[in-house]
Amino acid sequence: MVRGEYLDGRSTRIRQVQVMLEGDQLSWRGDGVQGAALLVQVNVSARMTGVPFTLRLPHGAQLQIDYDDMPADWFRGRNRIESLVDWLERKRWAALASVLAIGLGLIGWLEYGMPWMADRVAARMPQRMDVAMGQQTLVLMRGRMLLPSQVPAERQAHLQALFDRFSRNVAGLPAVHLAIYDSPSIGANAFALPDGTVVFTDAILKALPDDRSFLAVAAHELGHLAHHHQMREVMRHVGSTLMISLAFGDVTSLSGVSAALPTFLLNNHYSRAFEADADDFAFKTLAQQSVDPIAFADAMHALEQAHPGEAGGGEVRYMSNHPLTEERIEKAQAASHQFQLGRH
Amino acid sequence: MPRPAAWAAWVAWTSKSRLANAKCWRKPRVSGAFFLPKRDAQHISSLHSPLPQESGTGQGERDMHNQGNAAHIFLPEIEDTVFEGSHGRLVFEFHGNARDYFRIWIVNVALSIITLGLYSAWASVRTRRYMYANTALGGSRFEYLAEPIPILRGRLLAAAIVALLALAPHVSMRLLAACIGVMGLLMPWFIVKGMLFRARYSAWRGVNFRFDDDYVGAYKWYLVIYAVMAVLALVAMKLLITNGHQIVAALLIMIGVSVFQFMIYPWVRGKQQQWMAEQHYFGGKAFRFRFDPKVYRRIYRRVLGIYILSAIPAAILVFEIQRTLGWTPAELHQHPLTVKALSYLYAGPINLAIWAYIRVRMTNALYNHTSIGPYQLESSLSYGEMLRIYFTNAAAIICTLGLATPWAVIRVARYRAEHLRLEGSGSLDEFVQTSSRRARVSALGSEVDSLLGFDIGL
Repeated sequence: MVRGEYLDGRSTRIRQVQVMLEGDQLSWRGDGVQGAALLVQVNVSARMTGVPFTLRLPHGAQLQIDYDDMPADWFRGRNRIESLVDWLERKRWAALASVLAIGLGLIGWLEYGMPWMADRVAARMPQRMDVAMGQQTLVLMRGRMLLPSQVPAERQAHLQALFDRFSRNVAGLPAVHLAIYDSPSIGANAFALPDGTVVFTDAILKALPDDRSFLAVAAHELGHLAHHHQMREVMRHVGSTLMISLAFGDVTSLSGVSAALPTFLLNNHYSRAFEADADDFAFKTLAQQSVDPIAFADAMHALEQAHPGEAGGGEVRYMSNHPLTEERIEKAQAASHQFQLGRH
Repeated sequence: MPRPAAWAAWVAWTSKSRLANAKCWRKPRVSGAFFLPKRDAQHISSLHSPLPQESGTGQGERDMHNQGNAAHIFLPEIEDTVFEGSHGRLVFEFHGNARDYFRIWIVNVALSIITLGLYSAWASVRTRRYMYANTALGGSRFEYLAEPIPILRGRLLAAAIVALLALAPHVSMRLLAACIGVMGLLMPWFIVKGMLFRARYSAWRGVNFRFDDDYVGAYKWYLVIYAVMAVLALVAMKLLITNGHQIVAALLIMIGVSVFQFMIYPWVRGKQQQWMAEQHYFGGKAFRFRFDPKVYRRIYRRVLGIYILSAIPAAILVFEIQRTLGWTPAELHQHPLTVKALSYLYAGPINLAIWAYIRVRMTNALYNHTSIGPYQLESSLSYGEMLRIYFTNAAAIICTLGLATPWAVIRVARYRAEHLRLEGSGSLDEFVQTSSRRARVSALGSEVDSLLGFDIGL
């Protein structure tokens, strides 16, 4: 016999009752009420540390029994999943194992699971979408950040021919073309758009010492296009936004501020991997077309001089979206060494 | 939190006139926030006519009694003399503790991650059940009754919407505009669905809450009112810019913006609260709400002050760091990530201070003007205390990489429960559910608005 509170499900009046279990029949009595129900017809809430049990009776009434008062053998075998979870919740080792599982799970999911899924989704996206994405960026930037180029026409024609000859011999590329713009706000830089446009700014063309280093930068950008980096990156952004909003969805306090930083760090992390991948692609294609990958290192040195300080070792590794300059130069030198060995 | 004596004196002086009609039985619960609750108390006694009845005291008699005691307003023992016996039944209590909740939370988070998010619906039911069941009113605990499967369904749809909104800006701005437009049109509907769900699956003493699905009201207060304001603002801007002197136009725009910020927007927020409160029912009784625009105007006026007060120390801090680093503006340009970190350092505390202020004051405003049957709700959250809790919570969560979250949640819940109470002389036994209709409600709305973070002002 245990103490319980009887509520008729219609009014908020509490009646103190004694609850008994005889065979398969549950009965209660006290404070002007009494009744009985078959145990199988009683719906009991799942067990949870410190939370009273609610026994829902057949006609809408309910009994509440304190967590500590509930006999362990009543309602055995109900709410199987939640009983298992409750058992885990009461174990100290389960809490420790959970911390570990969360850490490993998050790393595994963020590093492998989510990128893998995002890549599968990106591969299924129609070509139309790449074109739309590229066009939209160009339309947004042209006239504001991208101004007509000041580079002489014959130099432009020369670079165009060089670019076309180089890209024609690269396997696995979508249709690509070179575009040259003057952009004081971007500075010495080059980037690829998902529709196949490779943009060079006037400043980078001025900074690069020779045609081979131009090709080295172009090869890096072609690497982004050959491996569909933009679409994959967008899908990873969507994935990380989704995960973080799911994770912070319940906590209304502070979510705006605290969710912004992990999203930013995560996206930077993915971008870095793509940059390193594009570098490797560049070393390989340069070597294939008999250009010494040392041209890549030359381009990096030249760009470092055009942007003093920015590429220096001062920034924290995880905060930087391009791999550190020295590291890229070292890799280019190693690739060059391989290339030299292969020639002899 | 120690406050300068001069400031306290100023608060005392400005509150003096209000203290004359403030309720005298309130005991300051937090010594650090000695004065603040008094000002909230004033909303109830001066604005709410069906005052909580102490036994045998008439209206006039009580007023005299209040004024007579105004000088002794801070004496805690007054509370004991006024509420004899019955007040013990009307307080909210929170029984949860961080240790139990941590174990529940960590296991459920781990299971959610292992199952790639599918278990998260079960996890959220379990964690919410814990929080509800550990909040008690009059000795009886609340209950959270939602089933996981509808929540899972709602979550999947909400996730699809979030994914679409995250993808749209990369594809085309027109698509994004269309998505935002459609979401805007659906938002009031989601709000109603969310409130329906929460009310339907929250219960106390076996009786569940009810939310009246007033879609017209929702569209009026969460869509039409914004559309009207936007159209008016655009028309005014256009008129001012096309024909008018520039300085006059700038002045008029400034006046317009202040009228909006300090008059119209607070009024809208108050009306939204009123609508929200009045659509709720419990045990056959409707929640009633006394709307007073002055309260909201005061909140949004003070937000400006909080902004200025919090921006100054934050700016000094950031400036000092920049000076210690010794970078010229040109050099700053070359460290974009450090600049980003500094901007977080600057904006984070300001946002938190303002967000906490609005939240605390809006919560107080909501409860202090809401009554049901003979009972008046009363919330006496103190801004200083809540701000301290939020700041330490944020610091603890960041330092423990999120492991302190359960502790932080419990602290906020406990503080909120301790500062919420019902005033009234009944025994809470008289609520009777009139309709026994207990239709199922889909979880779509509640999941969409919790994922997209609509600010519904609760």
